[in-house]
Amino acid sequence: MKRTAIAALIVAIAPLSYAAELPFTGFLEVGLASRVVSDDNADDEILMQEGRFQLDFLNDGDYGTLQFKGDFVSDGVTDESRLELRELSIVMTPHEQIDLKVGRQTLTWGTGDLLFLNDLFPKDWQSFFIGRDDEYLKKPSDALRASWFGDTWNIDLAWTPIFTPDGFVDGERLSYWGGAGKAGPQSGYTIDPVEVDKTIDNGELAGRIYANLGGNEIAFYGYRGFYGQPLGYDMDEGNLYHPELVSYGASIRSAIFGGVGNIEVARYQSEEDESGDKPMVPNSEVRGLVAFSREILPEQTLGVQFYIEHMEDWDTPAEDAGGFDRGEDRVWWTLRYRGMFLQQNLILSLFTFYSPTDDDGYARPKVTYKISDKLQYTIGGNVFFGEEENSFFGQLEDNTNIYARLRYSY
Amino acid sequence: MAYKSKGFMIMKNIKSLGMALLLLLAFLPALSFAMDVDEIVNRANLASYYGGDDGKARVKMVIKNDKGDERTREFTILRLDKEDGGDQFFYLYFHKPGDVAKTVFMVHKKVGGDDDRWLYLPALDLVKRIAASDKRTSFVGSNFFYEDVSGRQVDDDTHSLLEETDDAYILMNVPKDPDSVEFSKYKLWIDKKTFLPVKAEYEDKQGKLYRVVEALKFGEFDGVPTVTESRVKDLVSGGETVLTFSEIAYGVGLEESLFTERYLRKPPRKYIRR
Repeated sequence: MKRTAIAALIVAIAPLSYAAELPFTGFLEVGLASRVVSDDNADDEILMQEGRFQLDFLNDGDYGTLQFKGDFVSDGVTDESRLELRELSIVMTPHEQIDLKVGRQTLTWGTGDLLFLNDLFPKDWQSFFIGRDDEYLKKPSDALRASWFGDTWNIDLAWTPIFTPDGFVDGERLSYWGGAGKAGPQSGYTIDPVEVDKTIDNGELAGRIYANLGGNEIAFYGYRGFYGQPLGYDMDEGNLYHPELVSYGASIRSAIFGGVGNIEVARYQSEEDESGDKPMVPNSEVRGLVAFSREILPEQTLGVQFYIEHMEDWDTPAEDAGGFDRGEDRVWWTLRYRGMFLQQNLILSLFTFYSPTDDDGYARPKVTYKISDKLQYTIGGNVFFGEEENSFFGQLEDNTNIYARLRYSY
Repeated sequence: MAYKSKGFMIMKNIKSLGMALLLLLAFLPALSFAMDVDEIVNRANLASYYGGDDGKARVKMVIKNDKGDERTREFTILRLDKEDGGDQFFYLYFHKPGDVAKTVFMVHKKVGGDDDRWLYLPALDLVKRIAASDKRTSFVGSNFFYEDVSGRQVDDDTHSLLEETDDAYILMNVPKDPDSVEFSKYKLWIDKKTFLPVKAEYEDKQGKLYRVVEALKFGEFDGVPTVTESRVKDLVSGGETVLTFSEIAYGVGLEESLFTERYLRKPPRKYIRR
């Protein structure tokens, strides 16, 4: 039924887009993802089976700019149809040095490549792990973004009145380590954490002060809100919840050694566990990133990142109560290769995470081919591996999948 | 003695004057022939890449392969010169195709250094810093190179004047660092009136002609002679790309502040119709 609806839309839109300039743009996409091995914790190996119709509309006027972007999704895994509002915002310039953006919007800052230190805006990790377009890694926020632009330094403030949690691995599609064993769709145990109260005090506030000093981009960041993932356990509720988080950090990014180098640091201050002695609440951490990328051959780029999470108050005995012993320091190395071929119509990319401290990793191979300006396909995989079945990536091992997407842009 | 001497002096002076005139006459054609190769090259560089103090245009790019398959790109380009022949700012806003629509590419071009480049991906609200790249690689998938679009550094080649016709100076250009480029030399036709390059023929390392860039149509906007249509043919692959410029204007009052992160997120409506 839903597939007929999508098919009908394709039939309706396709000739239209040839006929005239449409006042909006967008795409139609079908996507399929499947585990490569059978997962005992899941009754179905299909992770994604969906049709997506995106409509993107923009209007520039004297008032500012109005933007709308919505996805109509027919989802064969959850067996439902839904409307995902990706953007509904207005940008205004009330003063020549001030921009305001109000409404649903995607917010991003920071210098990491798929590693987020000071970008605490919501992410959708589930979408990321099952092969949806990278666009869906960022989950939109209902926010007010106020920006002030000086001669050199600029200030951004983003206020999200109602906390937006990350989309995380919750057992609905992907299985995970549930504390005592693997959990997933089959076990019926999906994570449904305690929601953060929707009061004005619980809003998220994120800020950035930044400047471009002769090609050196320098930024300072701050955040007050909650952990995007439900990393705390509430004994009274008997359920997971999002503990309070305050973070601050800085970054620098420059052209160096014929490529781009960046360094970023952040301190996560776990507000409910400042002394690090509560086993059910994350400890405070210092996170650091050093990265470099450059073109190694014409149209082929290689990027390397070194990332570390250093847990504070590690020697507190309470740490033993948790599941996986992640150690005081968790290190990730990431490597990105991206090459463009056939007049940039064929794009090969591989992104890998490897953790020498956790003995696990994650690889994202991807091939995109643009058949024409309107039609392209993407084939890729999400490969998880680990020594232990409860480490960060190791717990996802059985979710290793391949996916394919076909997109028609209009 | 005194008289004789005086007469001799006059004679001598007349003689040397005559010699000087003769010499001058002999060199006159050369003087008009070569207003110095370097000056031709510099004026051509300014005419093609530094028209006005700033400029804007909407560009349509049609890329064809040997099978006749077509791809189209459409973007608005804004340019501001820090100084003539010096550093520049570029801002490219993509209108089409759909998968790159609203993407912005920004360059702070530095003469004699690596450019600073950014790409703004609106779907992720991501301001991505891009590593400097080989300048002789395809510009957005077309047969044009980055260098064709933003200009090749004048000092990268040695130039010599081959010929002067009624309309054009014909120059031969040889790269100083042959290993850095895919060509061995290129012949350049420069229009004598406007100093716009009208044709370039590139020879490969074997001395075979393999790439031709041509200006097909011209116009004058705000007093600046401009190429409004150009084409590059890749004789090896059989592919070609045609660029058509419209909505051309110079001296539109672009400011440096426009070439910052602010306007990646908020394309300037004054200059970009979308």
